[in-house]
Amino acid sequence: PMVTGTSVLGLRFSGGVMLAADTVGSYGSLARFRGISRLLKVNDSTVLGASGDLADFQHLRQLLEQMVIDEELLGDGHSYSPRALHSWLTRLLYNRRSKINPLWNSVLIAGVDGGDSFLGYVDMLGVAYEAPSLATGFGAYLAQPLLRAELERERLPTREEARELLERCLRVLYYRDARSFNRYEVAVVTEKGVELEGPQTLEANWDIAHLV
Amino acid sequence: EWTAEPVSTGTTIMAVEFDGGVVIGADSRTTTGSYVANRVTDKLTPVHDRIFCCRSGSAADTQAVADAVAYQLAFHSVELEEPPRVRTAARLFQQSCYRYREELSAGIIVAGWDPRRGGQVYVVPMGGLLLRQPFAVGGSGSSYIYGFLDATFQPGMTRSQCQEFVARALALAMVRDGSSGGVIRLAAITEDGVERTVLAGSDLP
Repeated sequence: PMVTGTSVLGLRFSGGVMLAADTVGSYGSLARFRGISRLLKVNDSTVLGASGDLADFQHLRQLLEQMVIDEELLGDGHSYSPRALHSWLTRLLYNRRSKINPLWNSVLIAGVDGGDSFLGYVDMLGVAYEAPSLATGFGAYLAQPLLRAELERERLPTREEARELLERCLRVLYYRDARSFNRYEVAVVTEKGVELEGPQTLEANWDIAHLV
Repeated sequence: EWTAEPVSTGTTIMAVEFDGGVVIGADSRTTTGSYVANRVTDKLTPVHDRIFCCRSGSAADTQAVADAVAYQLAFHSVELEEPPRVRTAARLFQQSCYRYREELSAGIIVAGWDPRRGGQVYVVPMGGLLLRQPFAVGGSGSSYIYGFLDATFQPGMTRSQCQEFVARALALAMVRDGSSGGVIRLAAITEDGVERTVLAGSDLP
């Protein structure tokens, strides 16, 4: 992997599901490309967020875009569901790993299918799973506990609560992940469709510095 | 020792967009290990009349890919019956650099002018990613000037401001990077053509 992206976060809320990722492409430890979007709108019901090698992500994007075009051309009124895309991606990534030539990515797929929201993970080994909250990279260690704590409550968070939680997690990641950046994007999927918000800048709190 | 080392365009390369075209620049040092094999290299390679590439990484790899892309572009522009787009040239570089990413060591900046979108700069770093940027730097020397670039770059510079910006940046990198040096080769690509200059010795900022 050459130019890489760090964590992607995913969280279900009461109206759908949302993904968040920062906008940096790192070249080793160098924050080389600071305006990259790692969130991709696949169709009106699905978004994909990628971490790992960004050249492989671009390749994946081309494949997905072509698939969506071919499907539109069929004109049968169907479009790929988030679950179907997750399944397809799993096969793709697993087969590449089995040829010892992986696409060096960990991706989150988020979408709304009919009334149900979907959030899934697939990585370069072909490992795949679904859960109401997910994160790749550093996020899996630092953000997941925070996301899960929120979901342990009686009800799913509202859209605003979810948005705030994702921002809080991204801030923690900005403090503690040396390959992160303070500009980020959020993608929200609901019954109504996909909204891509951003890029926005995180405010960091350094007050504790004065206590040392 | 040096006979076992690949020939590398150690390098600092740079390209900046302005309204009406692009300014590109590079140093002129090619190294084999720590021996300077060529001190007057031209790393600004035309792939079409108004489209150039700046080459960094392995000299052999970048020359081979650039030759292939130049051929493909020439063919393509005959089919199109019009000058090819800079984006097309960049995409062609990306296709080779991504497909053969394991075998190649090539960091390329594609820059030029076309009638559709004016001046454009695209970067194809190692790994085969494709990205358009208002300005781009590459090569081993680029590490030393990120600070200078972040502090100094302003969008909306004129052609001569861009030329000065590129010359100053390259000069700073060439001083600090052992794999970069020699003369600064600049080129300005616009609708009217390509104007090449060389800054040497006392001309360097």
